[in-house]
Amino acid sequence: MNPWTNRHLFALAVVAYGLATIYSVFLWRRGFRRHDWANYALLAAGFVAHTWALLERGLSLQHCPVRNLYEATAFVGWSLMVAYLVLGLWPRMRFVGVAVAPLQLALGVFALMPALDVPTGPVLQANRVMESMHAVLALLAYGAFGLGAAAAGLYLLQAHDLKVHKLRAVLALLPSIERLEWVARRLVQVGWGLLTVALLLGSQLTPPEGARLAGDAKVVWSVVLWAGYAGLLVWHWRGLSSRRFAWGVVGVFGFVLLTFWGTNLLSPLHHP
Amino acid sequence: MGILVIGLNHRTAPVVVRERLAFAEARVPAALQTLRETGVADEAVILSTCNRVEIYVASRLPPELAFGDLEEFLHRCHDYHDPLTDHLYRYTEPQSVEHLFRVACGLDSMVLGETEILGQLKQAYELARQRGFTGPRLNRAFQRAFHVAKQVRTRTQIQRGSTSVAAVAVELAERLFSSLRDRTVLVIGAGDTSEKVARALVSRGVTRVWVTNRTLERAEALAGALGGRAIRFEEWSEAFPQVDIVISSTSSPTYLLDRPRLERWMRQRPRRPLLLVDIAVPRDIDPAVNELDDVYLYNVDDLQGIADDYLRQRQAEVARCEAIIREKVRALLDPPPHPAAPGDPAPSHAR
Repeated sequence: MNPWTNRHLFALAVVAYGLATIYSVFLWRRGFRRHDWANYALLAAGFVAHTWALLERGLSLQHCPVRNLYEATAFVGWSLMVAYLVLGLWPRMRFVGVAVAPLQLALGVFALMPALDVPTGPVLQANRVMESMHAVLALLAYGAFGLGAAAAGLYLLQAHDLKVHKLRAVLALLPSIERLEWVARRLVQVGWGLLTVALLLGSQLTPPEGARLAGDAKVVWSVVLWAGYAGLLVWHWRGLSSRRFAWGVVGVFGFVLLTFWGTNLLSPLHHP
Repeated sequence: MGILVIGLNHRTAPVVVRERLAFAEARVPAALQTLRETGVADEAVILSTCNRVEIYVASRLPPELAFGDLEEFLHRCHDYHDPLTDHLYRYTEPQSVEHLFRVACGLDSMVLGETEILGQLKQAYELARQRGFTGPRLNRAFQRAFHVAKQVRTRTQIQRGSTSVAAVAVELAERLFSSLRDRTVLVIGAGDTSEKVARALVSRGVTRVWVTNRTLERAEALAGALGGRAIRFEEWSEAFPQVDIVISSTSSPTYLLDRPRLERWMRQRPRRPLLLVDIAVPRDIDPAVNELDDVYLYNVDDLQGIADDYLRQRQAEVARCEAIIREKVRALLDPPPHPAAPGDPAPSHAR
């Protein structure tokens, strides 16, 4: 019998993210003056264990593992990691990892709480593929929003240092603030696009007996989120300053982190 | 046969002496030939820059004799009759090798940690080597010096950062903008420092430079030198929304740019960062503009403060660099014995 369950593997990933978080603090204290290939490597190692955990879970369930809060949280973290590992191929962009690591650690620790990993009911055969696509796209969107928030957070840190003339702003090996703003904006745009498709797919799903789409807590929450990001993007296009846009991106994702799980629990569609 | 060095630099000799003893590049081969023919040096390299003139030789002569002949050579070569004793430094091994390594690493330069000297040293060495004026001793020493310079650069912070106001301004611009290539720089007031800053930006890729000055002719002259265009002083505010970097250095007694004015202009260029470099005293730009989103204002004290911080950082690295240099000098002049290969005869003391 294999002693390594998918939860053990996921826990291993969270340990790697924890080590990356500690190293991120070290990089931050040193003013981002050292190249952080080590941080990238730690996060990549965590990603390998993370992917293995999700694969193992999905194969054992015979469907995409996105149906309870543990699975959904793990998947959001995984999609965030995919986006970061691609972005981190550009050397200066690797520093976004100092914001990604603590976020991954927080998501991972939350996901591992025992009460989140509850068995879910069977999926209607007709809905299975579309439901999986809906969930995957939505969670990928949250991953993009999360990485956008990480880039926006780094933008705010660097922009503040430049404003108050800190030497760290010049010494740091961070990307330019223009580049960080561009990355944050593109990730939010991609995330919003994915969320749009996810919501459209979701609107086509047949709800289970006794449940309704209209008025469902999670559906309302998702539409509010979709509108929030849309408003932020339009406002920024119409002239909202980069600093306020960055705060908006961080703030809205903070809203996601604080309310996603509670809203899920209130939703009969997502928590039967 | 030891390595000797004789020379003078910005610390030991004023520029009026240095310029008399400088070697033009075209004259170096003949000078090296003279050194060989007079028997002073079996191998020689001459390094001549604006801040130093040094002769590195490998000589069979006793050092006292060699230094005397080299000093005489400098007098004769440049027809210089004033005493040089107080200006010249003379090193024998291991100080001569240590000095070479220090020069290569920029530790002996006017600007601590500057990198230009390494290129100049490489050039001087190549010139001598290609004409056959170097040999095994100088070849090893110089090649090791280049290696040490690279190690010091990667293992310490001695060459990090900018120590001039112009270079700091460019670094700041690179922290704001992902590329300087498509940026527009507006120079208000055609002064020396603003010209240096503009030149530094142009050297890093800026292609659009607009210059304005109360005297149009001065603006045109500076614009021509920078490859940009001049704007009448009365018209620069209309062009402002297209500008990304402003370098201001006028003698205006009042602010040219204040917060209300800049707020209106920033609405015409939404989401784009703006770097303002105010080199003027009294200042041209109201400090309150720094509170505006996407506006980053640096005055001359801010830039000099950053440059000074960099210099302090470099100075803090000197001890580490010197430790690396001492280790490398020891390795070069007193290498550890090679382990015996199989089949070699056993050392005599072992029999």
